[in-house]
Amino acid sequence: MQCKELEFVLESAGLGQLPKDARVHLATCAACQGFLADLNSIVSAAKSLPAEVAPPDRIWISLRAQLEAEGLIKEPTAVLEHSNWLNSFGAWLKPRTLATAAAALLVLAIAVFVTRVPQNYHPGVAKNRPAVESPRPVQSTAAASASPSSTPPVNAPSQGPAPSKAKDLAPSPSESASFTLSQAELDVPDMQLAGNSQVDASLRQNLRTLNAFIAECEQHLKQNPQDELAREYLYTAYQQKADLLAAMMESGRGEN
Amino acid sequence: MCASSVIPGTTLGATRRIRTISGAATGQLARQRPAQPVAWTEADAIRLAQAGNAPAFEFLYKLHGRRVYALCLRMVGNPADAEDLMQEAFLQLFRKIGTFRGESAFSTWLHRMTVNVVLMRLRKKSLPTDSLEETLEPDAENSGPKRDVGAPDLRLSGAVDRVNLERSIEKLPPGYRTVFVLHDVQGYEHNEIADIMGCSVGNSKSQLHKARTRLRELLQEEIRQQAREERKAAKTPSGSLD
Repeated sequence: MQCKELEFVLESAGLGQLPKDARVHLATCAACQGFLADLNSIVSAAKSLPAEVAPPDRIWISLRAQLEAEGLIKEPTAVLEHSNWLNSFGAWLKPRTLATAAAALLVLAIAVFVTRVPQNYHPGVAKNRPAVESPRPVQSTAAASASPSSTPPVNAPSQGPAPSKAKDLAPSPSESASFTLSQAELDVPDMQLAGNSQVDASLRQNLRTLNAFIAECEQHLKQNPQDELAREYLYTAYQQKADLLAAMMESGRGEN
Repeated sequence: MCASSVIPGTTLGATRRIRTISGAATGQLARQRPAQPVAWTEADAIRLAQAGNAPAFEFLYKLHGRRVYALCLRMVGNPADAEDLMQEAFLQLFRKIGTFRGESAFSTWLHRMTVNVVLMRLRKKSLPTDSLEETLEPDAENSGPKRDVGAPDLRLSGAVDRVNLERSIEKLPPGYRTVFVLHDVQGYEHNEIADIMGCSVGNSKSQLHKARTRLRELLQEEIRQQAREERKAAKTPSGSLD
């Protein structure tokens, strides 16, 4: 084999295992030995270069703005993993009179949101209501975590009036909406919702999921009050919860 | 076959180890990605992004953004252009995501789009001062670097300096640079590169060999330049005494 032929071999087969005649040539040719050693050094150094580099955050911010401007991002979806059921549920809801109940609840939530909750409100009363099931603790925790300064701990003995300090502080808008929805939620715990245990379980599961998402959003907002995206997600979740509760109540009335 | 050192702040080490374990399994390496906090698969995210779901877009961006940015950075050599190109590549990707049917790996599709965007930009940039060596088409680079076969030449002294290597990569013609970065830095296989570049596997191998040979010349030139500067610096003090 000649030096030129070795180069063809290196080109087609790479730097890995070389055929026997190429190895024989290499053993006797110092120039080709040096050439191969240099290529191996280059490859070795290239492998030590970082294959990934973190891009600046501004790229995604700018990209997202562009995607929104072009309408490629449709809308923020509150409960991502469950978008399918939400979409199908919404489609099912629309043609029915349940929409009326959902709208009424939503109006109520917004009214409370705007005018704020009565001063004598204290979430301790929730303790006196019958327990529902697992969604209740999630919601209660969320409400508590959203405004620790204005609400006593849920587990604290709060049968009597709330502390005067808490009385003086009006609840925040999100707290008010959360409270209104919690009150509505109290009306659905025990009713047989759809006369169908699977549908019933699914609705309750959806409510649990929404409650968990709301709790997560509230927690996030507590830590990052300026996060507009989280706020947007939270309000969308409230709206979905209002829709869901209205549907649950309507379903319960229809069957009971 | 491959080094398995871990580079802090990157997943290179893990990626290379996976390749060592699994051999040169086609397509596997390019799909190795860092763990994500959201429990979606890439397929889930693609499906949701096709429906316009914002977090799914972000998931895909974060899944692939680091590799795409590294590729852009090496291809154009400066962060401002790399950012611009990366945004353009992802924008094109997301505009067309509705047409993705999974015939090829998503990462291959994304890299093909990125390489096209980068080469298009370089082509526009280099148009007025194009030279034979700076041509962009792989075939046009086939003449390649010439080695005086059998003639004694300057040896690279063992380990190659990484700064010199980065500088030399920037001097490669874009076609060589793309193949070299994809194969030797990012770890893609020739069949994946052929898919990304729209060329044959043989062409990818040929371009890679020529890129390495050209890099060797550029590195030798770096060594000569440094030697000249050292000699010059050594002469300067004695000259100033006269």
